[in-house]
Amino acid sequence: MSERALPLASLVPPQLRELLRARALVLHRPVFGRRLGRHRSARAGVGLDFRDHRPYVPGDDPRRLDWRAVARRERLVLRQTEAEDELSILFAVDAGGSMAYGEGDTNKARYARALVGGLAWLASRQGDPVGLVRGHEGEVDDTWVRPSASPERLAGFATVLSGNEPSGTCPWLPLLEAMTPRLPRRSVVLAVGDFLDPSGDGQPDDGDDDRALIGALASIRARGHDVVLLQVLHADELEFPWADRSTLRFSDLFGIRKVKDGAAAAMREGYLAALRAHQARLSERCDREGLILHTVRTDEDLVESFLGLMARFDGSAPQGDAA
Amino acid sequence: MSFLAPALLVGLLGLGAPVIAHLLGRERPREIRFGAMRFLPSADPSVTRRRSLRDLPLLIVRLLLLALLVLALARPATEHEGGLTMVAEPHDAVLLVDGSRSMGLRVDGTPMLEHAIEQAQTLLDSLPAGSRVGLVTTDPDGPRVDPTADPSQVAEALRRWLERDAPRAGAWPLALGLPAAARMLRENATGDRKRVVYAIGDRTEGGLAGLPSTAEGGAWVLPIPAVADEKPLPEHVAIVDVTWEPAPDLDPRAARVDAIVRRFGAPDDAKSRSVTVGLFIGDDEVARAAVTLPPDVSVPVQFTHTLLDDADILPASVALLDPTDDPLPSDDRRHLWLTAEDATEVAVVNGDPSELRAHDEVFFLATAVAAHNEDRSLRVRSVAPDQLSERVRKRGAAGLADIDVLVLANVRAPDPDVAAAIVERVRGGMGVFITVGDRVDAAAYNRALAPILPLIMRGPVQVGTAPGRTEARVEGIAPADLGHPIFAGLDGDVGLSGTTPRRVMLLEPDPGRAADIALSFTSGAPALLSTTVDAGRVALLTTSIDRDWADLPLRPGFVAMVSGVFDYLGDTQTGGTGARLVAGEARRERARGPVVFATPAGTEVSLAPTDGAVTFEDTFTPGHYTVRSEGAQQAVFSVEVDPAESHTDALEIAESPAESVDGRVAVNVPQWRWLVWLALGLLGLEAVLRWRARSES
Repeated sequence: MSERALPLASLVPPQLRELLRARALVLHRPVFGRRLGRHRSARAGVGLDFRDHRPYVPGDDPRRLDWRAVARRERLVLRQTEAEDELSILFAVDAGGSMAYGEGDTNKARYARALVGGLAWLASRQGDPVGLVRGHEGEVDDTWVRPSASPERLAGFATVLSGNEPSGTCPWLPLLEAMTPRLPRRSVVLAVGDFLDPSGDGQPDDGDDDRALIGALASIRARGHDVVLLQVLHADELEFPWADRSTLRFSDLFGIRKVKDGAAAAMREGYLAALRAHQARLSERCDREGLILHTVRTDEDLVESFLGLMARFDGSAPQGDAA
Repeated sequence: MSFLAPALLVGLLGLGAPVIAHLLGRERPREIRFGAMRFLPSADPSVTRRRSLRDLPLLIVRLLLLALLVLALARPATEHEGGLTMVAEPHDAVLLVDGSRSMGLRVDGTPMLEHAIEQAQTLLDSLPAGSRVGLVTTDPDGPRVDPTADPSQVAEALRRWLERDAPRAGAWPLALGLPAAARMLRENATGDRKRVVYAIGDRTEGGLAGLPSTAEGGAWVLPIPAVADEKPLPEHVAIVDVTWEPAPDLDPRAARVDAIVRRFGAPDDAKSRSVTVGLFIGDDEVARAAVTLPPDVSVPVQFTHTLLDDADILPASVALLDPTDDPLPSDDRRHLWLTAEDATEVAVVNGDPSELRAHDEVFFLATAVAAHNEDRSLRVRSVAPDQLSERVRKRGAAGLADIDVLVLANVRAPDPDVAAAIVERVRGGMGVFITVGDRVDAAAYNRALAPILPLIMRGPVQVGTAPGRTEARVEGIAPADLGHPIFAGLDGDVGLSGTTPRRVMLLEPDPGRAADIALSFTSGAPALLSTTVDAGRVALLTTSIDRDWADLPLRPGFVAMVSGVFDYLGDTQTGGTGARLVAGEARRERARGPVVFATPAGTEVSLAPTDGAVTFEDTFTPGHYTVRSEGAQQAVFSVEVDPAESHTDALEIAESPAESVDGRVAVNVPQWRWLVWLALGLLGLEAVLRWRARSES
């Protein structure tokens, strides 16, 4: 294990660390980095992989002439290779109250931390700068928003991620506003949360609550960044397992909605219908805006989820989600 | 308002129990902290509404129920001035409740006995804690409860008693029940506590007015009137007495029925009132009379009736015809048996007829009977010995069937066949009176009539002033044994003491023969003795009934003696007029075999004799009774309510010793009855609420 991973050891479970040791984070598109990196660059540069030939123009470095090609074509051609650029990844992490749901390994925040920690470590290991913004109790924590590949960054990650327990609301719009100006060119923005109640206004579901969030993310996407929505959901939220005649009292983890009493059986159907509508709407809007929505369930194996997420990054997995 | 058991109010703490039960019993919603609240349908409003609207009344009702229960157990009471007087400290008590027929008087539409039991209940409820209380009633079959610390046992016994036919005829006066109550107190005494008999009854002679102020053993007697003193008692009309006699002047089969009607309880200045009285034979009314009744005056009513039926004896009754509104219906009808032939047939067999009256047995007997026989209940015939023998030889024992009493006056011993017939008839119920004289041969008598002789005869001896004898040997008659039924109703000197017999028949002493000696000579020899032989009775006079052997017929007691002998031998109880019992009085019937008693209710009771007689005790229902037994005529008797029970006027009650003793208290009037009714209502409401809650959920 690399030493730089140590600060994240508390966030990333051992089996995931074991997996990551032999992996690289690969993006399915070229990137524009400021420095050389592991990633295929959008421009030709100094690299190992052959990319193209182009005619020599005065001023080109004669060392880059492809002599074999010059001999074959009888004119001066330069050999172009792929540039490998670094990729900036920015994590926007939802630490609102709803992320506190779930016991033990199925705790949403814990699951999300493991995924974020794993990605951050992977990226950091290959020299990609990472940044972190966290929304917690209505406040935005942008201490580590500027992407950096420095070793201290992972330690800071660990501190922030394993900091105070999720509570309150996550102010998505201020959070994105704080992040957007500092994004390097063509970064990847990974928004991690459950996106079940992103508005944080406590109003009833009118089917339009997510519009602002999606709009903000879409504007980021329009600037050429890749936006991935990593939706972490608990099985209870997806299946609503309470179906008997007992009375349930639901209190809001955000602390913004009123307590609701009711018979489980009576509530279940309405809840599931509303949830399905919300998910469909979310998915449809993400598709339309070119956002990648990846949904994971906390009762799934973490390693599988991580591999699925990486597959989405390198484009080998179809658009869709685990749910 | 005070509480008799204030300690039980601690139970109010238990009010918390249903609250806790209510809170615990409420369905606790499972608490879930959830993130996706946005998608939860809005809270079901009925869940909260039902809980408040449905459960709260139930809780209130249950709390009230419990509070009522505790309050009732603590026995709230108000002080009651006057009314009951009772001992304030813990004591041993016996309730003595009057169960006599006069307690059936309806006051405010309720029999007095119910008022009495209400008073008893009040008293039981107010007894000082630690007291023990028992129960005695004057009804022979009424409940008895030995003193117990649990008054509810007494209350329960009283309630069950009332559900039976109490009050009924035949109960004793209160004063006769008092010894039983005092005995119960003495036998169950605990330490030196006060012993009190609370007598509850009406203020009549047979009720509280006849009670002493202390009972034996020093127990106090506290009289408690069943109804308050100031409450006026309703007036009622009673038929106090009914008698009848033959009326041969009208018709050989005619009878005069005399009834006495009286109005009780009416104020002195009340107007006269008219009632209708009817004479019934069986169920048929045969005569009626309108009677005008001034207050508190006995008004005689006379009916005459000629018995047309062939039946010798008919059940009759005299009753008020419009008794429906009478507050005491039990004395509105009295029963009697009417017969055309009611006289006792006496056949005198004169063994020594004489021209001279002084030496003629029949003369003395007939004279004595005539003096006594005002009501013509005796019919004396004279029969010669030959006539008797002839009748027996013609018809056997049946030849003697119409004879109730056979007098063998100085008769030679009958021939064996005649003697056998006599013995048989005696066993069947005939009476025989044997007087001796010169014609009586002891040995012959012993041979012929040994089975029925009270004692075997030894032979006649000369007594008194015979030649060579001194005056000191003069024989006389010793004082009579007044306990013998022949002298029933007499006391003091029976008027025979001056008798000087000259000759007497000596008898062999024999303890094996159950002879009752009614009269002895001064020497100790029996003069008049009797015995019972199965259903029959035999009397033996050991001197002559005329003046041959003694001067007995000249003595003033002779008439009484003769009539007593005939009454005894004829057993006039079986006749129509004489056979009247007061309810509860036992009827004794001499018999050889089983005797069947038919009661007015139509039931028949068969009793086997012990010692030659049966005793029928179940005479508590007024009405006509018949008695059948093998070999004897049907006998009848009627049972009446004691006329004293009709006297319902309130009398003065003797001052109780407790009145002057410290420690008497005004009684607490229980106030918890209405609590019980309220609790019952709430219980119903609770059931409705619960049922509704269940059907809703």
